[in-house]
Parts: sequence; structure tokens; C-alpha cells
Amino acid sequence: MDGIALEILWSNLIGAVSEQARALQRIAFSPVVREAGDLACALLDREGRMIAQAVTGTPGHINTLAAAGAHFVETFPPDGLAEGDVLVTNDPWLSAGHFFDITVLTPVFRKGRVIGFFGSTIHHTDIGGYGVGAGARDVHEEGLWIPRAKLYEAGEPNALLHDIIRHNVRTPDEVMGDLAAQVSSGRVGAERLKVLCDRHGLDDIDELADEIISRSERAARASIRGLEGGTYRGESRFDIPGGAEIVLKCALTVDAEAGDILVDFAGSSEASPHGVNVVLNYTHAYSAFAIRSTLDPELPNNHGSLKPIRVTAPEGSIVNAKYPSPVAARHVVGMYVPMPILKALHAVTPDRVVAEGAGAVWTMQIQGRDERGEPFTSAMFNYSGGMGARRAKPGLGATCYPTGVAAVPVEVLEAAMPIEFTRKELLDGSGGAGRAPGGDGQAIGFRMRTRDPWFLNAVPSRLSAPAEGLEGGGAGRPGRFLVNGEPSARANKMTMAAGDEVLLETPGGGGFGAAE
Amino acid sequence: MTGPNAQAPPSRYRIAVDIGGTFTDAVLRRGDGFVRSDKRLTTHGDLLEGFFAAVDGVLAKAGIAPAEVDDTIVHATTVVTNAVVTRSGPSTALLVTEGFRDVLHIRDEHRYDMFDPQIEYAAPLVPRERTFGVNERIFADGNVYKAVEAAEVDTLAGKLRDANVESVAVCLLNAYVNGENERRVRGLLAERLPEMHVSLSSEVAPQIREYPRAATTVLNAYTQPIVAPYLRRLSEALEERGFSTAPLIMMSNGGVLGAGTAGRFPVRMVESGPAAGALAASHLAERVALDRLLSFDMGGTTAKACLIEERRPTVTGQFEVDRVYRFKAGSGFPILIPAIDMIEIGAGGGSIAAVDGLGLLKVGPDSAGSEPGPACYGRGGAAPTVTDADLVLGLLDADRFLGGDLPLDLGAAERALQGLAGQLGVSRIDAARGVFGVVGESMAAAARAHATDRGLDYRGLPVLAFGGAGPVHACFVAELLDGDTVIYPPLASVLSAFGALITPLRYDLARGTAGPVDWDRAGTAMAEMEEEARAAMTAAGCPPRGMRFSHGADMRYVGQQNEVTVAFDGNPVASRDEAALREAFETAYETAYGLRLSDLAIEAVAWRVSGHGPDVAGDTEPMTAAAPGRAKGKRPVHVRAEDEAVPVYDRAALSAGQELAGPAIIEERETTIFVMAGWHAEVRDDGCIVARRDG
Repeated sequence: MDGIALEILWSNLIGAVSEQARALQRIAFSPVVREAGDLACALLDREGRMIAQAVTGTPGHINTLAAAGAHFVETFPPDGLAEGDVLVTNDPWLSAGHFFDITVLTPVFRKGRVIGFFGSTIHHTDIGGYGVGAGARDVHEEGLWIPRAKLYEAGEPNALLHDIIRHNVRTPDEVMGDLAAQVSSGRVGAERLKVLCDRHGLDDIDELADEIISRSERAARASIRGLEGGTYRGESRFDIPGGAEIVLKCALTVDAEAGDILVDFAGSSEASPHGVNVVLNYTHAYSAFAIRSTLDPELPNNHGSLKPIRVTAPEGSIVNAKYPSPVAARHVVGMYVPMPILKALHAVTPDRVVAEGAGAVWTMQIQGRDERGEPFTSAMFNYSGGMGARRAKPGLGATCYPTGVAAVPVEVLEAAMPIEFTRKELLDGSGGAGRAPGGDGQAIGFRMRTRDPWFLNAVPSRLSAPAEGLEGGGAGRPGRFLVNGEPSARANKMTMAAGDEVLLETPGGGGFGAAE
Repeated sequence: MTGPNAQAPPSRYRIAVDIGGTFTDAVLRRGDGFVRSDKRLTTHGDLLEGFFAAVDGVLAKAGIAPAEVDDTIVHATTVVTNAVVTRSGPSTALLVTEGFRDVLHIRDEHRYDMFDPQIEYAAPLVPRERTFGVNERIFADGNVYKAVEAAEVDTLAGKLRDANVESVAVCLLNAYVNGENERRVRGLLAERLPEMHVSLSSEVAPQIREYPRAATTVLNAYTQPIVAPYLRRLSEALEERGFSTAPLIMMSNGGVLGAGTAGRFPVRMVESGPAAGALAASHLAERVALDRLLSFDMGGTTAKACLIEERRPTVTGQFEVDRVYRFKAGSGFPILIPAIDMIEIGAGGGSIAAVDGLGLLKVGPDSAGSEPGPACYGRGGAAPTVTDADLVLGLLDADRFLGGDLPLDLGAAERALQGLAGQLGVSRIDAARGVFGVVGESMAAAARAHATDRGLDYRGLPVLAFGGAGPVHACFVAELLDGDTVIYPPLASVLSAFGALITPLRYDLARGTAGPVDWDRAGTAMAEMEEEARAAMTAAGCPPRGMRFSHGADMRYVGQQNEVTVAFDGNPVASRDEAALREAFETAYETAYGLRLSDLAIEAVAWRVSGHGPDVAGDTEPMTAAAPGRAKGKRPVHVRAEDEAVPVYDRAALSAGQELAGPAIIEERETTIFVMAGWHAEVRDDGCIVARRDG
């Protein structure tokens, strides 16, 4: 296939996946899907290898969806599937690292044979158990565990599984609605792929997949070969709810001949008793993202371009957590995974790396009673600190790297629950000083308009260990989490009094180069 | 002053002027279909110079004096977009609820390209130091928790004066449900700073989500001090020159309004030129008796497309302006206004073809623009562009481009394509064919995505082609959409001006709401909006018997975050008919998403009212030759694998009823029609050329 024919097919594949993603985002109930774009959609080939992804979502979702494909195919070989089957799981170790993320895979049939899968992963509003936050003591306290299963069999809903899910979540209408949205968006993608095959006279997409994957892999290896070979080290420190300090150490080995990179997290902190532990799938997702977005952001993200990046971490460490470690708030540690990698890459490609930033977005969830006494559970909402500076440009304020999720608007939250925001403004000077300064964090204040006590699941981080600068750039200011003016970050769900005032000050990003 | 009237007597004259980035076009039409047009360079120093040069041009061609223009003068202009892109607006301030001063700077926190850490955002039109907090609060249920105090506005007025602020945007939290506090701020400011321009978010864009509402209000405030005097000057200049009619202004929603209303809401004039093009497309759909089509306007740097459904352009509630980082979605500002739903594709004649890291051929979004332009322009451009590929394929005549005013350099185009061919490992002709193929695919892909997003079927859509490059590529794009019809309208080079000429009055209003449907409040909101629309249309000269109102709502299932805009058949709010309201919503929902969730509660987040004036006639006299024209020659074309000797015609020489078999090339001054093999074209009485696929 030449570069012209392939481009035409390729752009059509991207079109199909994008349509799937747009369909999902439009019909979703969960505000983090709709407003924050916290979803991933991808086309996988019949072996479960990711070929194309939609231009949306978070690294954690997309790259773990790529890994989930192989796990599904192992349990459900494509030749044993029937038309109308839909597969599902939320197994943290097989997909996106915590129960909230449910992955749905829709096989596409052509002439009676599976030619590929449309997959999606979205963060659901609830999954039973502890709720959003790091307070569960083991994974079983964190909610419903859905093993690899058929959500639909030959077009018929798996009634028992639907019933089990409905009975084990606090927001059954939203969860079932979002699951239905995942199923119907998979159908949209499948229809588009069939039309594409008709138009171009294809019986399957095997050759197309091979070509895309092998070209992507070659290009990814070529960009790694542009680096000087050797082992480079990076280390990042940050603190998590409850105050524990986490160290992530990485040794990044560039094999400039083979064109691959091995990231080894030996020496990193042990798994935590709190639910911030990260499964290796998720560590790999954020590691690969950090390397790919630094070296060749333009390259398509797929099985081929991800293949030259290998990641290892000691079993039982915080970045390779084992059963039954709790994992619900795994993004807290996961979003810091790129930081030591970027420091290591700074030694070989200083122009393209980003200084340490605020790290994880701060997530919130609220449960309580409204003024009429009706109980409510909010969806999760999130806020960013400052991004680290780029070598030639300042860091963006109140914008997260590595993830890029949007915040739910204040007015949308105030319309959805009895909350009153008192403030949402940048914190001047909280970004580290530098030739290019770090992005500023922000202050967000809120209280509840209720007469009853309420529960707050807040997951702030970087309250003591600041984001470091690069090349003499200053550190960002750490964050603060205040209730009625007092620092009060805890790992557990907090019981709040009716009039309590919450103030979040998200951390600033690190600067780049000494300030002049 | 008289209003537009579909039954205008044959002697009445109407003029439309469209000021675009490069050209200012004028079209004049007499009631009996007599039409004249004129094209001038846009005069960026003073836009009205070019305006009157073009107007004088058509008046001279028609042999009439200004006083004889007894219908209306319609104006479409880029003045708003220009002011934003060049940041030439005056010192503007933003007032927000205390504690939320950074709403423009924090945006929605979204990084629009996850993989690119180097992204940038358009600089806000109001800097932080001119954003001020107001101690006030309204909750989402509309209750005023804290009113605005006069003493505070005193202090603020002092600060605004010190900062030499000319225009203020006010965007307070939850003002989409209740604008009371915003109106009080305006009232207090007016007592202290009577000259100040004030834009309220509750009037400019009363819809939920504080960031896009603030961005919209700020854009309105920023451009108002430029646009309001510009429109006043226009009205005065028309009067001085002896015109007896006040101008109407083309708006983004595909309607025209009086200069007074336009001056209050200049944000609603953004992209009104392309909107006028879409209106022309609706008119032509009607003329050739097609219910739906895809209007396809491909120019130098971008292509714009719009779906016409039931002979009307689709309308959206939000779009984006000033995309600063590689044309990427998310790098500009969101604007909440009713606007023609355009697909903008970063691929035009000047788009550069290149091979990416995977060895794939990509076209755009980088563009050679008009300076240096495509390699064949001979102005120093070396990169291969779509126009270069078209020239190498034989689709364009190097000596007759723009009527011969811009001779093209074939050798330069060949050299540019040769480089690309080397990278791809194919012949030069294959590389040029590849560019032609890829650019067509990207147009088709954008149209497919756009249509399916809206629950519309793109298969078999007829294509209406215009713009410099549109007619060259339209047949191929139509094939990719499984279509079998392409229409090439007459007056194609001034189509936006023609569209403005035939655009009826229209005013769209929306009011945010929250919670379960409250019939009393909904009824009041609808009645107030109708009154506002009636006043605006009366000001624009519309007689009461010519007015019509339609009603709608933005609705969703309770718990959803995204709304569907629903157009009501009647008005279920007036009749308090809950079942009809639900049915209207579920029908629209099903169209968009293919399902109904009938056990869930529904809610409205906004009510909508549109006022419409009478239709405007747009038929034109025949523009064809008396006798069938013969081919003026043949030239080799290489779009297919074989070289084909393709006959070349002059459009002006073709007569009504004349048929041509593809492949054929039909040249006019500003563009070239390429009728592909397997198609045939017929010239209609009114000068439209319609190509149909054989078989």
C-alpha cells in the first residue's frame, strides 16, 4: 500500500472512531464524560491490537484500553463470538486501574467473521462500595467487580449482569444509561467501519491494521533512535492525602540501536494502605504517554507506536500494585508517573520536556441531603493546578499535564446540587519563578446549602512537596486544603457540618531556567 | 422606509454588499429579476470606501441613481471578526461575581490537544487587570441571595474611568436564569458613566456555563464601540448620498436585522458572510427543487460547508473564533450565538501537501495563503499545494487563471510536486492525483462527521459548489458522499452578496431556565422574547402582518449534561401541553441519537423564540448565451490513470438547455468546473449548471 491509498483508508478509520466518541460523549449522563471529556474510544483489530483512537480522553484511559484488548481476546477468542455480542469488564488489573472505569468492547462482523472491535472506557458516576476517594482498605471495599463477561449475547442483554450492576450502584439510572451509551456508540463505529469496507471493497482490515501498526512502530523507533543511547535517571516526590510522601524513581534506558526505551521504577515507594495504588497497566499508560508526547506528539497513538516502550516496576510497589491493594484513587499517583520520566528525558532532549507540574487533578465528590431533605450523590468533579513550564513558554495556569480533562462549570454544578461556590481564581505567583515561569494554581471555595451534615470525598495532593523547576527554575508553591481555615487533608471520606467552608488551593507548576 | 416584501413590484431595486477579507462584492436586483454585480478590493483602512465603490459600480451598470433604490440595502461584513483577530478593539473591562475574576483565563481547564505539551490559547480580549469583582449573588434557582449595592458600583465606576475603559461586559454567576443583578449594575453605571457601552450576559447569551457566556459577552463589548459607530456612519453616508432606505445587516444566524439591533449585539455578526452564502444555497435548493444539499465553498485557505435540510441551513448555538494554534479546535474562544452551522475544513487551494512521519500524504492545515501562495503563483512559494496539483493534472489553464490576470507557472508547480513524489516513491502525476484524492477525502470525511453528529444522513447529498476551488473538486467529493448531483450556481463569485440580498428578517432569542417546567415563568419568558423580536423587526421596517414567530427549547433528560435544541410545531408552552412538549423533545432526541428513554423525566434549560419576516424573492433573469457554445479547445487531464483529452468550454458561451458529457471543463473568470467522466452537465434556463452522474 502506498502513502496515498493508506492515508485515505486511515483518515476514514479515524473518522469512524471519532464518530463513536462523539456519539458517546453526546448521550452520556456522567458529567465527567460529557463536560470533562473523561472517556476513551478506540478501534482494535481482531487480535485486540489498538489501531486508532479518538482525539479525546485521558492517557490513562486510552493506553489502558489498548492493553485491555489483548485480555479480552484471550478470554473470548474472536472466532467464538456471535454477532450482537458485547463484552464488558472493570477489572482494575486488566483495564483502567479502578472499578469506576468500565470498558465495553463491541466486535464488528463482516461475512460472519470478526474483523475488529470498537472499545470504549468511561468513568462512571458510581460503582458502589466506598465511593470516590482513597479510604477503602482493600479493593473489595471499593465496589462492584465485573469480570470479563458478555453484557449482550447475540443481541440480547445479559439480564442477570444488568440486574447485578443496577443493584450495586448508588446511581443506577445514570450508570445503566451510560452503559447503554457505550453499547450504542460501539454500534455507530461498527456501522461506519462496515460502510468503509463496502466502499473500498475490503473483506477485513487485517492488511490495513498491519500496515498502520508497522509504520507507526517504525516511526516511533526512528524518533527514539534520534536520542543518545544510555540510562538516564529521574526522581520525583509528592505527598498524598493523609500526608505520606511518595517517591517515584525511574531509570530510563534508551537503546538507540533497537530504537526502544525501557522504564524501570525500581526504588519507588511501596504500595500504600490507602486507595492510591497503581496497577502496572496504568503505570505503563502514563509512562508511554510521557515519552510519546515528548518525542513525537504528532504520531498516531496505537499498538505500533506504543510497542517500543516497555515498563517494569517491582511487584508490590505503588506503581505495580497487587491484589488486594485498594486502587480507587489511582489517578493521584498515576498522574505523577510522567514527572520522573520527563526529568530523565531532560538529559537527552531538554527542548521538548515539561517541568514538574501540580500533578494529579484534585477530585471531589459530595453526598448529602438537599434543602427538602432528599439525598443526593454528586458525580465526581475535578480541578487542576498549574502545569510545569515549557523550555520556551510558560506553564499554563490551572491546566493539567499529563491529563487534559476539563473542569465542570460552576453553574452546572450549582444547578445539579445545593452547592455554592465562593471563589475560583488563579493564585498569583504560585507557579515557580523562571525564565519561563510555571503555571499558577487556583483557589476554589465552596460550601453546601443544606441543614444536614454532608460527606466530602476529596483527593488533594502535593500539599507539602512542591513541583520542582528545571535548569534553575523555581519550585511551584504546594497546595493547601482548608476546612473553615484549617488544614485538613485526610485519606478518608470526611463528615462535614452544614456550615463548613472548604477552600482548595491547587499547587503551582515548576519554572524552567533561572529567572532573570 | 419600507420593509421587504415577496410581492415587490417589478421595478423595485434592492442592493446587497458583502465585505470579505479580500474582496467587497455588491449585487443589485430589480423586482423582475434583472441583476448586476460588482467586485472591488476590500479597503481595510476605511471599509466604507470599498463599500461605496462597489455600490457605485452596480448602480452605474444598472444605470440608476441612489434615490431609485427603493427596496433595501443589505450589508454583510467581516468588521467584527477583523476587530477580534487584529485585537483592534478599545479598552474593555469585564465585571464578574466577586471571587471569579479569572473566568476568561482559567477557561474550562481543558488541554485541547492531550499529546502536544506546547499548545497555546488565544489571549483573552480583556486582561486580568481590567476584570473586576462585584459583591452580589444569584443562585441557580434564580433567587437573589445578595443584591448589588450602589456604593460598590461607585467605586467600580472610578476604576473604569481610571483605566480609560470604553466598554464593559457584565457576566454574573447564574445570570442566565435571572438578569436582575446585571441590569442593576447597568442602571447604576449609566447614572455615573453615561457614555459607557455596557453588554450584559443575560441579554447577549443567557445560557448556562459561565466561561462561554463570559467570552461571548466580552466579544460583544469589545467590538461594540467599533461596530455601533461604523453602522451609524453607514446609515448616515447612505442618506447623504441620496439613498432613501435604512440598511439591514446580515447576522450569523442567516437573518437580517436593523442596524440598531446589530449595533447592540455585534457578536451576532461574526461570520455573517459565510452565513449569507448558506442562505444563497437554500434559495438555490428551492430553485432546482431539491429539499436538501451540501453547500461547498472551497477557497484559498479553508473550505466551508453547510447542510441545507428542508431548504433551510442547519443552525447551531455555539462556535469558536480566533483559533490561534494550528487552526486547532479549542485554541480560540467559544461563542454562544445562534449561527449557521458551518463545517470549516483547513483545506483550500493554498493548502500544503506533505508527507508525515508515517509516510502518509497529508494535505493542510498549513497553507501557503495568498502570500507567497502556491508554487505556481511564482511569488516565491516552493511547497506543493492543492492548486499546484490541480494545475499539474491539467484542471487549470496556466494562462487563463483569474481571466489571465494571474498567469500560473506550470514549471514551478511541477518542481514542487516532484519533491513530494520523491518522498512518496511515486510519479509526479500520481503525487498530484494523490493530493486531489486526499483533499477530496478530507472534505467528504468532514461532511460525514458533521452530518452524523446531527443525526442526518449524508448519503446521496447533492452538492452545491462555489468558491475558487469548489467547482474543481465538487464532482469527486459528491462521489465520495454517494451523491449523483452537483449544482454550479450562476453569480458564484458573488454568492455571499447574492445570499445577503435574498435573506429575510430573522431574530433568534433564547432564555436560560432551570429545574422542572414552570409554566408561568416559561410563558412570561416566551412572551417577553416575542415582544423583543417584534420590536427589533418593527425597527427594521417589517410590517406587523409580515411577522411570524416560531418557538422552541433546549431540552434534555434530567441528569444529562447535554441539550438538544427542539423546534416546536405549535407552542406547547402557550397551551401548557406537557405531552406535546415531551413528544417534541423525544422526536428531536430520537433523530439525533436514535433512541427514546421514555421512563426518564425531562427538563428544559432554555426557551427559544424566533421572529421571521416575509420571504424575499430571488429569481434572476436568464444568464445564458443565445446559441449553444462549442468547445474552445481540448487539453490533457490526468485525474484518471489515462491521459484524457478533455474539451474546454467558456461558461458564458453556453446556452440554456445545452448538455455536455463528462469529462469536460467549463471555465469562468474566478473558477473552473470539472465535470468528471461518468457525469454529464446540463445548463438550466436561469444559468445554473447541473451535473448528474450517468446511469
